[in-house]
Amino acid sequence: MLTTAPHLYIRRPSPTTAEFTVTTCPPLTIPLRLLLLIIHLARLVLVSASVLALYSRFLFDPSAAVTTATAGTVGQQQQYNATSNNNNNVNDGQGGEAFALLLAGDVTAFAAALLTAARLSRAGALLDELAAPLPDWALAAACAGTVYAVACRFRLHTTESVLVLRGLGIQTCSSGSAAAAAGAGGGSRWGWARQTRFIPTEKIRDVLINEGFRGFEVRYYLCVVVEGEEDVVVLFPGTLPRRKIVEAVWRGIRACLVEGDGGDGGEKG
Amino acid sequence: MSQSLAPECNEIKERYDTCFLKWYSEKYLRGIGTTDNNECAGLFKEYSSCLKGALKERGIDKLLDEAREDNKENDATLMGKKKCCSPQRVSMHPFSILTLGIFVAGYITARWDLVTRLYELAIFAWNYGVVTRAAKGFAVLSLVFLCIFLPVERLATHNDGLMRVFWPADLPRSDLRGVVVGWRNSALDVFVLAILEEVEFRNVEFALKIGTLLRNAPHPVSRIYELCGQSSIHVLGLSNTPDSVDIDPSWIRVTIGPRRRVPVITCPRASSIQIILFERPNPVRMQYISLNPIELALDDKHDSFRQEVPDGSEDDDEKEERKKKEQKKHLVEKLKQHSISKRVPSEKEKALAKIVNQINWAWELEKLLQKNVSRIGTRPKRSLSVSERVVESATTARDMMVVWMWHLFTVYVWPIIKRVFVMGLMAHRIAAEVLLRILEWRAQPRYAALKDISATAQQVEIRLQQFCYWPMQYVTLRLRKNDWESVTTSHPDYIRFYNSLWLVANDVIIGIALGSYIIDNSRWVAEEVNQLLSQYTVDALQSSISWLMGWPAGLKLNNELGAFLGDLFLWVIDYWSSCIEALRPILPRIIWFIGFSSFAGASMPIALFSDLLSILTVHIYSFYLASARIYHWQLNILISLFHLFRGKKHNVLRNRIDSCDYDLDQLLVGTILFTLLFFLLPTVVVFYLNFAIARMVIISLKAVFDTMLSCLNHFPLFAIMLRIKDPGRLPGGIRFELRDTQDYRFSVNDSPTQIPSTSVIFLKSVPLKFKAMFHQYFQMGQRIRKHYLSPRVLLCLLTGKFVPPLNRKNLYSLQYSMLPARRAGVMEMWNAVNSLPEPKKRVPPVHVPVLANGKTLPSNYSAGRSRGYG
Repeated sequence: MLTTAPHLYIRRPSPTTAEFTVTTCPPLTIPLRLLLLIIHLARLVLVSASVLALYSRFLFDPSAAVTTATAGTVGQQQQYNATSNNNNNVNDGQGGEAFALLLAGDVTAFAAALLTAARLSRAGALLDELAAPLPDWALAAACAGTVYAVACRFRLHTTESVLVLRGLGIQTCSSGSAAAAAGAGGGSRWGWARQTRFIPTEKIRDVLINEGFRGFEVRYYLCVVVEGEEDVVVLFPGTLPRRKIVEAVWRGIRACLVEGDGGDGGEKG
Repeated sequence: MSQSLAPECNEIKERYDTCFLKWYSEKYLRGIGTTDNNECAGLFKEYSSCLKGALKERGIDKLLDEAREDNKENDATLMGKKKCCSPQRVSMHPFSILTLGIFVAGYITARWDLVTRLYELAIFAWNYGVVTRAAKGFAVLSLVFLCIFLPVERLATHNDGLMRVFWPADLPRSDLRGVVVGWRNSALDVFVLAILEEVEFRNVEFALKIGTLLRNAPHPVSRIYELCGQSSIHVLGLSNTPDSVDIDPSWIRVTIGPRRRVPVITCPRASSIQIILFERPNPVRMQYISLNPIELALDDKHDSFRQEVPDGSEDDDEKEERKKKEQKKHLVEKLKQHSISKRVPSEKEKALAKIVNQINWAWELEKLLQKNVSRIGTRPKRSLSVSERVVESATTARDMMVVWMWHLFTVYVWPIIKRVFVMGLMAHRIAAEVLLRILEWRAQPRYAALKDISATAQQVEIRLQQFCYWPMQYVTLRLRKNDWESVTTSHPDYIRFYNSLWLVANDVIIGIALGSYIIDNSRWVAEEVNQLLSQYTVDALQSSISWLMGWPAGLKLNNELGAFLGDLFLWVIDYWSSCIEALRPILPRIIWFIGFSSFAGASMPIALFSDLLSILTVHIYSFYLASARIYHWQLNILISLFHLFRGKKHNVLRNRIDSCDYDLDQLLVGTILFTLLFFLLPTVVVFYLNFAIARMVIISLKAVFDTMLSCLNHFPLFAIMLRIKDPGRLPGGIRFELRDTQDYRFSVNDSPTQIPSTSVIFLKSVPLKFKAMFHQYFQMGQRIRKHYLSPRVLLCLLTGKFVPPLNRKNLYSLQYSMLPARRAGVMEMWNAVNSLPEPKKRVPPVHVPVLANGKTLPSNYSAGRSRGYG
């Protein structure tokens, strides 16, 4: 539901310039947008939870605010209730202080105050209880792994595009992040999210469709033979679209780069 | 028409101007005016004499002379070009014509038979119809030419009607009428440099022709043309002009305004247009763009390092790699043969490299052009008021004082300081040369030099090499200041120079901290080192050997052999521990020395510790060698006896296993020996493994030290900082972005003319990737991994062959990549240091009122010419 088979979009403002985009992102309807929003919120929650767990294990100073009280007797229970009430008050006060710190420009102090407040809340206590049985190193590894997987490695859609400019060359661009796929031009703001490569026309020897084995299937792929390079450049290496799309793109590229002989001939190679 | 400087000459100037413009527009531009160039000369003489008188009256003529002196070279290049092209100078001297005539006449009379023969030939040709046939052939050929070649050529030149316009996105946008000037790379490929506002395009054309717009250039103008690959700047079109104005069909018509981000461009000749917008890199901030990623390392000598690998161990891997590469190359070659026709790249496609240069120049050139716009057309006439004159003379007096002081300083003090500094530098350089010679000395070409053995020597050598290279780098960077800022060739040099300076400074700072700590606590550190030494290199070994002499982990080893081997090693260890005991009293001294050496940088104590480690663990190395030898021999004997056991033997001549008939006694003895050795093998194996593991630990420790050293010596600190601060200074290529043209079309709707299909493209510079910055580290890691974590090493360990340590040169190619392959000699450095240009003389600033033609320049044009570093 979240992804579809790779399909092709073409933007061609003038006959000599065209952009072919192959994406696995389905058309953005409102339910899909909502779903994506929920997924991103979940990512945010996961990341902040792991940061909080790390903080409460390694940096949190219980002496600053009384928190843990293993209630055994009734008297102690009452005392605990009293302290937790106090804590709530303290939380409010800390929230105000934290924003004052942010206004003052002290970001680290602000982050520390925010994390302390989160730790003192009920969710923070629950999280601490959950993390309690894990040893230090396991917690650190688990949290680091979660943050890396959720924040850096999480890819929902793959979008790859080829921009053909007559007289200039071919530019390949691939971005795997969901953020880049969600908004049309959104990915450009995050330079790290997309990898571009520009090949000047002078160096392009040919653009052709080749076939290759991948697992137990034969895939047709587009490749650019570049002068003076030992490898061919494969277009759409991540999605490897079906032959119909590849042919359409090949015709488009031929028509864009060299006028006239775009229509003849099927595949080569 | 404009007013003259002197009001009394106004009338004469008016007459001359009309005469000149008439001649210029009606005759010169159409190419008729060559016969009579002097029609306005009389008027001009009159006017100039009037003007001269006026100037003398006001005392401006001196100023004018100085200005002319300044601009002499610029004018000379332009005038020189003009002279060579003028047709009047081509005529021959009359005397030489006479000589030629006499010679021809003499030759003909001397060889008269030649003339008669030619005559006969002509008659013969006429009789046999050669002439008519030749005429027919010529007619056919010209017909073919007309029918085929001309249309083809037309097709080739006017192939698609695609016009390409490079437009700076940060060009100031205003509603005023203007003239677009820039480079014309080919007929339909233009590069916009600037819009000159509120000027007449004829005047601009004329000014471009005589070079007024490039006046007052700080550096030679010819350099611009050379690097941008064009011979002149052209008028490309008009901006915000009504359609009623007639323009050349190849010119573009631009509509632009403050609210319009993308200009609307039309051109009568073009059927479709690519507008490529780009942000101009600011050369003052050392930003630039390039097609290829910037090279942070000097790349001229990686090959030389490869060639010097003498041992054959590396060869297998490399051979395999090369084979793979060749196979791939073959495949790609095959693939290349699929392309049937080779397209000839058009003019536009070849221009890309030139255009990159033009983009780099765009900022500086626009500044220059805008500065000189005021020289075109009308000039205001206004003399200074009294108060302004007072202010001027006051500032001039102060400036005179400053200039005088500066003059005194440069003439008397500066040369002495400079000389003393250069002398000191040269003395250091000579001392460095001597040291380097010692470090690089080899008894024989194949022997190892001192720097190949010891990490300390290597570190010293790197520092000395850097010291030798710095003055040369500095000289190249200084020469950069005498050129335009847009010349980008030395920017990588700049980054390399400051990176290495910064790394050394960092190294020294860390070293001082480390060194003072070590010196303060030298006793404690020495104790710790001693503790570690005795604990790990003596006690741990002894205990493990005595553990092996018993039955380790329940393994039943051969008691006698185990006791023998163990006693042997224990005896050597005892002797070694007594040596270390002797070393103990002087250990604090050594530690103190190491601490002291770290004032030369933190890399020094690390290198020293690395060397110390290899010296103090010599016994482990020798144990490893001895046990490996024994184990290897035993294994070999076992293998050959196993062949005997099977009734076979190894044929050395053919390098294969052959069947062999053994006698009974041979078989018996062999089998007994095989059994014996086989049962003794586990004892040898455990001893061997013990020392092999110790050896591997030491190697990995040294690898850690080496990594620390390479981080201290080579970390791309400056580049990373630049990448964060200003990514434009580290270009990693270019990237295009296709923009939506909907809003573009909306904005066009209000204009009545139909515009051709247009695509709007943004050209952006891609900053260098972090991965590319650490490329060399990855390479080194790859090399280490290949050397130590390959199956070959495991095989060596299993069979007891010696695992060779990684060649130092291979490991250190990373560190040397900042240095040239061949260091500059002492004399070379002397010449380079003395070739530095003198600091520029400060000329007293002369206040010439800014001649603005009716409007003031925008405020952002008055940016100072200060150079921003770092």
